[in-house]
Amino acid sequence: MNILESIQVSLGAILANKMRSLLTMLGIIIGISSVITVVTLGESSQKAIDMEFEQFGAGRAYFSINWREDYSTKDLLTTEDIDALKNSFSEEIEAIVPYVYEKGKAKTKSEKLDVSMTGGDENYLKIEKVDMVNGRYLTEEDVKGKRAVVIIDKEMALEIFGRTNVLGDSLDIEIGGSQVSFAIIGIYEKPKSSLEAMSGQTLGNIFLPYTTVEKITGSGDYYWDLEMTLAKDLDIDNTTQKMIRLIEKRHGNEGQNKYVVQTAEGELEVINNVTGIITLVIGAIAAISLLVGGIGVMNIMFVSVTERTREIGTRKAIGAKRKDILLQFLVESVIISGIGGIIGTIIGVGLAFLVSSLIKIPTGVSIGTIAIAWIFSAGVGIFFGVYPANKASKLEIIDALRYE
Amino acid sequence: MIKIKIENLSKTYNTGSISVEALKNINLMVEEKEFVSIMGPSGSGKSTLMNVLGCLDKPTQGIYELDGECVQDMNDDELAVIRNKKIGFVFQFFNLIPRINALKNVELPMVYAGISTKERRERAIKALQKVGLEERMHHNPNELSGGQKQRVAIARSLVNNPSLIFADEPTGNLDSKSGNEIMEIFQQLNDEGATIIMVTHELDIAMHTKRMLVCRDGEIIEDKLVENQIIINKQEESL
Repeated sequence: MNILESIQVSLGAILANKMRSLLTMLGIIIGISSVITVVTLGESSQKAIDMEFEQFGAGRAYFSINWREDYSTKDLLTTEDIDALKNSFSEEIEAIVPYVYEKGKAKTKSEKLDVSMTGGDENYLKIEKVDMVNGRYLTEEDVKGKRAVVIIDKEMALEIFGRTNVLGDSLDIEIGGSQVSFAIIGIYEKPKSSLEAMSGQTLGNIFLPYTTVEKITGSGDYYWDLEMTLAKDLDIDNTTQKMIRLIEKRHGNEGQNKYVVQTAEGELEVINNVTGIITLVIGAIAAISLLVGGIGVMNIMFVSVTERTREIGTRKAIGAKRKDILLQFLVESVIISGIGGIIGTIIGVGLAFLVSSLIKIPTGVSIGTIAIAWIFSAGVGIFFGVYPANKASKLEIIDALRYE
Repeated sequence: MIKIKIENLSKTYNTGSISVEALKNINLMVEEKEFVSIMGPSGSGKSTLMNVLGCLDKPTQGIYELDGECVQDMNDDELAVIRNKKIGFVFQFFNLIPRINALKNVELPMVYAGISTKERRERAIKALQKVGLEERMHHNPNELSGGQKQRVAIARSLVNNPSLIFADEPTGNLDSKSGNEIMEIFQQLNDEGATIIMVTHELDIAMHTKRMLVCRDGEIIEDKLVENQIIINKQEESL
């Protein structure tokens, strides 16, 4: 008996019990579709995060004071440190700016809008990707002159002024109780960030010279963090270690672990690890439903074998060998779980698309996932079919023929 | 030519602590073209004898030669081939596969013999013609009467040109008219040269065969030729 004939016989048996076969498949369908949905969503969010990092600078790094250790003012970073880094690592550093940040409220016609103010300099574009749509970016003169100029987000302009052609207008912001007036020199468009869309955070962001922020807040020449963009294809670990040693030397605190460098790459790795673990855990839970489905297949195969005991006896009496019987029932369970797997894959992919379009991340259904799911469902068929099929093939003919 | 030769054959069943000697030192020879009936009350060992002769069960002891070939020590797969090629079975309860039609049922032994689809079909149709059922070959077993089912089963037993046909109470589940039809087919097959061994507990049925074995307590206590064999003849019946 060849495999084609086994398939024919098995299809006949499956079709003879349509409802039963369908319910058995349902277990596999639910199992496979939930595994595919979870794994695909996991992969999609990973991809979204990767894209996000790509967009916001893969070479981005933060040089900062180690918060875990005690530090005094003499350990804090200064403008001279920045210059020293610029000089010693002119090849490696594309841009470096102290991280200066302040919150304020912008007045609109009816209410006060929260804005975050990020300090930058003329090279800050290399750190934070900003799409200028109108006007100009910060210049060296703006920074040196501590000018009260800002670059604002188009959407924010719409909200505050009700229009976007606000170049040259002045923007009033309330910072710590006092009112400061800024000249708008540029308008930018926020890049579409799916992470932000997911978190729902839409705090408006404006850019201004970091020196201006310092002047307003009176914080002076002390920094806790430096933002950098490093050149591509660097040995990042090695370079950042050298940077730390340089700064340590300047502050005379060698080996005291006062500074740390965080890189986007490192963060990406951490995030990917986390999403990977979450995917794995939920995937494992989903896989349990697949296991339950598999047990359903096994159960129904036992019923099928018992039901057809006389048939098995007859087939053996007229010349079926053990392997013929084994194959017949194995093919039957593989077909049940295989069809379940195909339907489950379609539903799983559909669900993944639906969910990812709802939470606005790109869907990446990989052929690999589908292939693994199919192989897995056929594997479930074999794994849970072998035992009943083996039982069938081992039946004693005379007992089987006598079975009522 | 000798079809079956059995020497000192025993079969013991072990069910837990009790062992039952179903066959005790049986000796038997069956020649080609014989038509043998095995009679005896239930528990006499006649079914066990037939199971062993039909290679459905293995003897505990002794020698069994089928067509000059020792089969008593063969493994399951080798026995499957013997059953497939050399033996045709007709059962009391027909044992047709329910979901497939008469033609497919008759084809089944050839499926396991690995014969091509085309040849299978031709031979199955021919076998069904022989039992007068070619018009119902596309019907499933549940659409056939008992007699028709048994005729399909006979066609199935013939289809691989076996050297032996075993029938286990083939008329036991049929009315007397259908039973007669079945016996007529067996007689006709025997006339054409088939060797047939039939288990029955009805003397009337055994009278249709040519040789009668009577079993009791695991032994053959009588082995005689049937005098005044009842021969069914269509022409006579119609008179």
